[in-house]
Amino acid sequence: MSTENDILVLKDLEIGFRKGRKIIASLLSGMNVSAGRGELVALIGKNGIGKSTLLKTIVRLHEQLMGKIIFSGRDMQDYTASEFSSLVGFVSTEVIRVGNLSVRDLVSLGRFPYTNWLGKLTPDDHALVDHAMEMVNISELADNNVSEISDGERQRAMIARTIAQDTDILVLDEPTAFLDLPNRFEVLHLLRYLSEEKGKLVIFSTHDLEMVLNEADKIWMMTKDELIEGAPEDLVLNGSFKHLFPGSKAIFNKESGSFSYPREGKKEIILTGSGTAFEWTKKALKRKAYIPVRKGSSIKIHVNNTIDSTEWVISTNNKELKVYSILELIKVCKEI
Amino acid sequence: MSEPNKASIHLKKRRIAISMGILFLLGLIFFVLDIFLGSVHIPAGDILRILTGEAAIKVEWKVIILDFRIPRTLTAVLVGAALSVSGLQMQTIFRNPLAGPYVLGISSGASLGVAILVMGFTSLGFTAVLDNAGNWAMVIAATLGSGLILMLILSVSVRIRDIMTILILGILFGSIATALVAVLQYFSTESMLKSFIVWTMGSLGNVSSGQLRILSFTVLLGILISLASVKILNAMLLGEDYARTLGLDPKTVRMIIFISTSMLAGTVTAFCGPVGFIGIVVPHIARLVFKTADHSVLLPGSLLIGAVFMLISDIFSKLPGYDQVLPINSVTALMGIPVIIWIIIRRKKITSLS
Repeated sequence: MSTENDILVLKDLEIGFRKGRKIIASLLSGMNVSAGRGELVALIGKNGIGKSTLLKTIVRLHEQLMGKIIFSGRDMQDYTASEFSSLVGFVSTEVIRVGNLSVRDLVSLGRFPYTNWLGKLTPDDHALVDHAMEMVNISELADNNVSEISDGERQRAMIARTIAQDTDILVLDEPTAFLDLPNRFEVLHLLRYLSEEKGKLVIFSTHDLEMVLNEADKIWMMTKDELIEGAPEDLVLNGSFKHLFPGSKAIFNKESGSFSYPREGKKEIILTGSGTAFEWTKKALKRKAYIPVRKGSSIKIHVNNTIDSTEWVISTNNKELKVYSILELIKVCKEI
Repeated sequence: MSEPNKASIHLKKRRIAISMGILFLLGLIFFVLDIFLGSVHIPAGDILRILTGEAAIKVEWKVIILDFRIPRTLTAVLVGAALSVSGLQMQTIFRNPLAGPYVLGISSGASLGVAILVMGFTSLGFTAVLDNAGNWAMVIAATLGSGLILMLILSVSVRIRDIMTILILGILFGSIATALVAVLQYFSTESMLKSFIVWTMGSLGNVSSGQLRILSFTVLLGILISLASVKILNAMLLGEDYARTLGLDPKTVRMIIFISTSMLAGTVTAFCGPVGFIGIVVPHIARLVFKTADHSVLLPGSLLIGAVFMLISDIFSKLPGYDQVLPINSVTALMGIPVIIWIIIRRKKITSLS
């Protein structure tokens, strides 16, 4: 499975917790996956399955139970602390709130492995810190305190810190949690850029399946039995996603690439028309548990696109009705 | 973009340098005032004459200045600097704005060490030990005592992540030390008891020139260790996990900070008693003044502010012109607590680590 190009290889890895020498909880064993430079790897799995533990094990914050983690052909344990700190950067889920710590100071901490014993930044270090802040588009906030900026800005500052750390590998634990949609896109776009343009290996955990399907090069899917590796599309096609939430009623739709709850269809409705409005009408009807069909129903809805607006024509056996929004449409359908 | 960046860095650096300069000047002014002011009024001209080595008008004035006031003033500087620096370190390591040598029970530990020495050993008849090796025995006893408490807290803090729990445990360990001290007090004679009680009230005046040498040596060494740990303290700001991903071993860091803090807080407590509040208050004043979290600024800043704070406290405690002297511990508390209250009310919260 692994090739020479892979800078990270997990070999028969088992993760979990031990107390002294005794293993008190094994989360998952027999993990065999790999990843190479320039790849954006998304780690997915349900809550509590051990995503954070796996990531912490990879960045040496947590000890593995069995197996090996190999970076560029060398066992992780053979790296000295300082070698490792210039190889792997990490962003955890912990929200950093330090009073009086400016964004610049936070990003500068990324230079820690390279500065002298006093931590003095050279002009080169300053340039790298400035560059990292520019990359995540946070330069204007350089002198603001990290406790006073938004969650999205803070997350970007934390990523800038690892950029300043200048590592080949970047590991992030749920970097998009707590962020609103635009910020989520911005962070993911940034990770995409770091892997594609800067050639870093970026591994991140997330619950945002739709985003992963659109953006990730590779998915590591954690179930309680195994760690499944593959391109997002592979996992869609071979039906792996149904193992993601075992026991849950949610079903994965291969066409749309999203999870939804099954709804019992109540009534069939003939839906005709075209365009974007037609698609969204279909979606709305499905949500209200109607089954859009081509023929064979007494109720008929036609989506009519005029030049400047959209109208919905509802016709039953004896009458015809025009409405001008989906909200009204749903209301009328209910009454029929 | 990089030009305005450079400008703002430059401006910040200049502001820090100016603040440091002002603090240093304040330190000098209060240092001189502390020598000039005291229960006995000595004219300024005579003090200058004594300091320049000319013959004094009164012999006792010379004794007062050279043997009492100067050692006392130097002690104030050392105590203020030491407690402030160790307080700053503790606040960073424990990531808690209320941490400090006193709150975490390190001073209680030092008290226990000294109590065992003063009341325990002497009641067993080892008075000779205390007389001959008194200075070093006190330093060692206090350092061992404070080290013991810090070790307990650190060993617990490896297992427990929640900072409040560690703080509560610190208070509990301190209470155990206090309880043991109480047992010792119960079984000691009146004179031993009194000398211990007086020690707990704190005093800057009991430090002889010989003791001052020991105090300066340990405090300077402790401060040197802290100054050398500026970089790792900065890395600890983000917590131990992040420190580790930057290539630091948190256990080593804790050990280094533990050694310097027990040297600073332990010895100061041994010689001057458990002087409170300085260690908690001064780092916050430093953060307020310098508006940074960078220890390469906060550490020297706390050192200077601590020295100034202690010199002012000492001038107050001497009640210039009166015969009486207030216990230094009461003065620092009376001066320190209003500052804490002021900070809390003004900023709505203590700006620091959480």
